[in-house]
Amino acid sequence: MKRFMMKSIVLLAIGAAVQAQSLEINGYVRTYLGVLTNDNYDYSINQATLDLKLKRTADKVSFFANPYIYQYPNQEPELGLREAYLDVYFDRMDLRLGKQQIIWGKADGVFITDIVSPKDLGEFLLRDFDEIRTGVTSLKANYYLGDHTIEVVWIPTFTPTIMPDETSIWSRLPSFPLPVTIDESQKGIPERLENSEGFIKYSGMSSLLDFELMAGTMWDDDPTMHISPVGESGDSLLLTPRHHQLTLAGGSFSSELGGFILRGEGAYYMGKRFAANNSSGLPLELIEKDYAHYLVGTDFSIGTTRLSAQYIQRAILDYNDAIVQEELDNTMTFLANRTFLKETLTLQLFGYVGLNNKDALIRPSLTYDLADGFEILAGANIFVKNEDSQDPGLFGHYDDNDMVYVKVKYSF
Amino acid sequence: MKAILILITVSFLSGLIFAQDLTGLEVIQKVYNRPMGNDMTGNLTMTIENSRGNQRIREIRQFVKDFGDSEKKIMFFVSPADVKNTSFMTWSYDDASQNDDQWIYLPALKKVKRISSDSKSDYFMGSDFTYDDLGDRHPTEDTHRILREEVVDGKQTIVVESIPKDEDYMYTRTVTWVVKDSWIGLKKEFYDEDEELLKILTVNAQISIGDIIILTNMKMTNVQRTQFTIMEFSDVEINTGISDNKFTERIMKRGL
Repeated sequence: MKRFMMKSIVLLAIGAAVQAQSLEINGYVRTYLGVLTNDNYDYSINQATLDLKLKRTADKVSFFANPYIYQYPNQEPELGLREAYLDVYFDRMDLRLGKQQIIWGKADGVFITDIVSPKDLGEFLLRDFDEIRTGVTSLKANYYLGDHTIEVVWIPTFTPTIMPDETSIWSRLPSFPLPVTIDESQKGIPERLENSEGFIKYSGMSSLLDFELMAGTMWDDDPTMHISPVGESGDSLLLTPRHHQLTLAGGSFSSELGGFILRGEGAYYMGKRFAANNSSGLPLELIEKDYAHYLVGTDFSIGTTRLSAQYIQRAILDYNDAIVQEELDNTMTFLANRTFLKETLTLQLFGYVGLNNKDALIRPSLTYDLADGFEILAGANIFVKNEDSQDPGLFGHYDDNDMVYVKVKYSF
Repeated sequence: MKAILILITVSFLSGLIFAQDLTGLEVIQKVYNRPMGNDMTGNLTMTIENSRGNQRIREIRQFVKDFGDSEKKIMFFVSPADVKNTSFMTWSYDDASQNDDQWIYLPALKKVKRISSDSKSDYFMGSDFTYDDLGDRHPTEDTHRILREEVVDGKQTIVVESIPKDEDYMYTRTVTWVVKDSWIGLKKEFYDEDEELLKILTVNAQISIGDIIILTNMKMTNVQRTQFTIMEFSDVEINTGISDNKFTERIMKRGL
């Protein structure tokens, strides 16, 4: 079946190119090899990618499709459609129907109001921007009033975050003192109208300020673990992941002040269930609380080096001491980027730092444009764990996954 | 001999009369205020050659519109493939004290980001033009004086030296050869912080659309690194009535 699909995609592309001169075909071919810096130098990834972008635009309509193939050694090709949608343009309104990635907010690498498209965490947070988000089949309507826009999104069917499978080095199951059984039977959300998700955004752009105000009702992309003892003696645990509904409202802004870009973003989430310890000290309870998630950041340059920093905090409101997660969770990100040799060589350092547990993910990289559209990227992902901290933290958890990698990419 | 003397005298006098008529600032203001039409559309091809003779080509489609006290420009990158559909928008203002506003749309990010206009000394897409070289530097940002008159390519020019008021500016001075009457900067020299000649801009071709002159071929040579960039404009159209809505986030995302 997959082979048939692959052939179909290729034939579609070639056939369309021959028959329709106005069809634009772009994309890239990439090889990606990552090696863990452990004793065995295991491969963390060995992937070949074909990514096609097909676009045709007429006067008032257009279509776009982004099929891709991931090929891993000795495995069947993994086929997918990152996006496939139709656009209809009116004088003051645009409609987009189909599978699409919808990106909101002003934050970089942090998801606060950018929650319309769920994430693909199959490789933690390491994938490229366009690969870390999954498309959602939805209807999006934009109404324009000069530099102001009202955007409404209706998602009929819930799509959850894609998590790494249990055998992956990126899998992160919570550890328990008792044997665990997982029941995934309640993870799905029935496909019916009342279970659809809806979002609205009002945004504006001006010389002084760019801003977005948003609200939404959605299913939590990340499942909540319902945990219950099994058996009369309770000597094992049953984990039942379930998605719950959330309501949120938030906004973001971006402005320039004296050569510094100032950015801010925040959202108030209602109805989140947090794991909490019971009287025996086991995290078997759930407590529903609201929480706020917000960020301030700046982008600036020193000479020809571009720098960026963000401070992010998540605060659980009306906090209960039984909740496993800390009341305040603090993270920073930083970025330094400099180009050399007429922008053909780019040196970059990006990092997340968890301030609560003093853990970090540091991502240095060097990209060289060998020719137009042909680039070689060499980089490393270094996970830092604080040995003195009881909780390794989001990044410290992957302390054994330090790696170096090379990507060779040709865009056409 | 007498005739030559008369010619020299007339030439000298005309220079004196000219220098008395116009100041350096006024000459540069005439260049700055040269009629450009209400809007312009065109394709820009940049050929960037390094010191080893390797060439890279960048293609852009751009739209510019005068809004009275401001000018808005939007550029869509056409090639190479890895930057295709990236767009870049600038709003610049007649008021020299107001900084430009700039945004970039990166298709991989799928969002429009405001970027600082403070990095005007950065080179544009790896070319030998900085962002400021491409923009309209406001005449009041420099102190200007007329050095002399010269004939360049058979055209009578006024040579104006401009020294930035901001001592930290990337150039310590520039020298511009301004063609009399048409007020085109035919040639420009840029001097670095050591007051050494860094770059030379030359205009190699121009077209006239009505009373508007468009420079269609410019070459910027970095004499210290022996590399250059050629900018060629083609399919230039003036006053086609570009909609105000062209210069919005909506169009940056939608593309061409």
